[in-house]
Amino acid sequence: MTGPGVGIGWRPEIADFVDGLGGLAFTEVIAESLHHPDARLLALRDRGVPVVPHGVRLSLGGAEAVDPARVTHLAHAAELVGAPLVSEHVAFVRAGGLEAGHLLPVPRSRAALDALVRNVRATTAELGVPLALEPIAALFDWPDDDYTEGDFLTELLDRTGALLLLDVANVYANARNRGQDPVKVLESFPLERVAYCHVAGGSEREGMYHDTHTDPVPAEVLALVGEAERRCPPCGRLGYLLERDGSYPPPSVLAAELDAIADAARLPRVT
Amino acid sequence: MEEFADLEARQEALVRALVGGAELPEGFDGATVGAASRALLRKRFGEVLHAWPALIAHRAEFLSWAEGRPPRGSLLDGWDFARAYRGVLSRDALAALALREALWRYDGVAARRRRLPAVRVFRRGVAVAGFGRARAWAR
Repeated sequence: MTGPGVGIGWRPEIADFVDGLGGLAFTEVIAESLHHPDARLLALRDRGVPVVPHGVRLSLGGAEAVDPARVTHLAHAAELVGAPLVSEHVAFVRAGGLEAGHLLPVPRSRAALDALVRNVRATTAELGVPLALEPIAALFDWPDDDYTEGDFLTELLDRTGALLLLDVANVYANARNRGQDPVKVLESFPLERVAYCHVAGGSEREGMYHDTHTDPVPAEVLALVGEAERRCPPCGRLGYLLERDGSYPPPSVLAAELDAIADAARLPRVT
Repeated sequence: MEEFADLEARQEALVRALVGGAELPEGFDGATVGAASRALLRKRFGEVLHAWPALIAHRAEFLSWAEGRPPRGSLLDGWDFARAYRGVLSRDALAALALREALWRYDGVAARRRRLPAVRVFRRGVAVAGFGRARAWAR
């Protein structure tokens, strides 16, 4: 890893667009989709584009121990794409045999921190590459949080040696919904451990900001990209990755979003 | 995992409230958890469309059907919904259901591929499957 660049999350629906990005700095693929890897993704790997498997179902924040089969798959996914690192979330997705269907926040308590540390250690023990952890966008909080998000993350990364996947849009969403200053929240995170950053779009609904990944990236998120870039270490990270997960716009619109992210971070355009 | 028994119980109670229609555990904000629960439903419908693209016209019905019903994965969620709403499905959705049921045997628990050719009649047509292929004819 050298200086930061701009990338986009690889999805089958936009594979041709991603393939056409001459300056693509890196990409990311949903780790669970690598049970059946797409030839077009492997072609990117063969072109020398760094590919990061991004897990969404490991449930690192669950009280239950991580499923060894899911950990093994994540390790295989990393080997398959020759990944420089893999990433997952500070979240849980199932409990008591019930699947929630998406990422849920953990209570910011000592017990939840201990459960996370146990699960992250069980995962990194099987991985041949570093693991970066992403704090999620949460529409609600647990009633009895003992830590601020920044303190919780700092202790989690200190105890596990994991890196930080900083989702700038998640920071914006949570700060806006909690009535906090997003820049102050950003500054409370352990930014010296950033491996790369996510950027995504969202929209307001029922008076709350939803990090949908299916709407355009708002100007406020782009501004926060600029704030993040000023505060992150100058090198040793991959850069900014646009996440789009549906309602795919025409290639020209996606390209304009990538350019806007590059401009906000003062990095070279990749389109 | 004795050490995390309390956390486990609290996480389970929250998930039951979010996707299973159970009562919200004490202390949570009903408005924000409700918003999260509805967001989970919308996301779930998006995933069901990957397995059942023909259900696109039935978003509102699906959201109301799925509320309080724990997710079983996009294939079975779409299947259970389509069976429950068979009487009001669009022609495309009916054809998709008949095609799938001509190819697969689903007893409400798990789906298995049929070994013998099968015919399924639906309100506006017929689906025929055999040797791993299926085709529907609709009026």
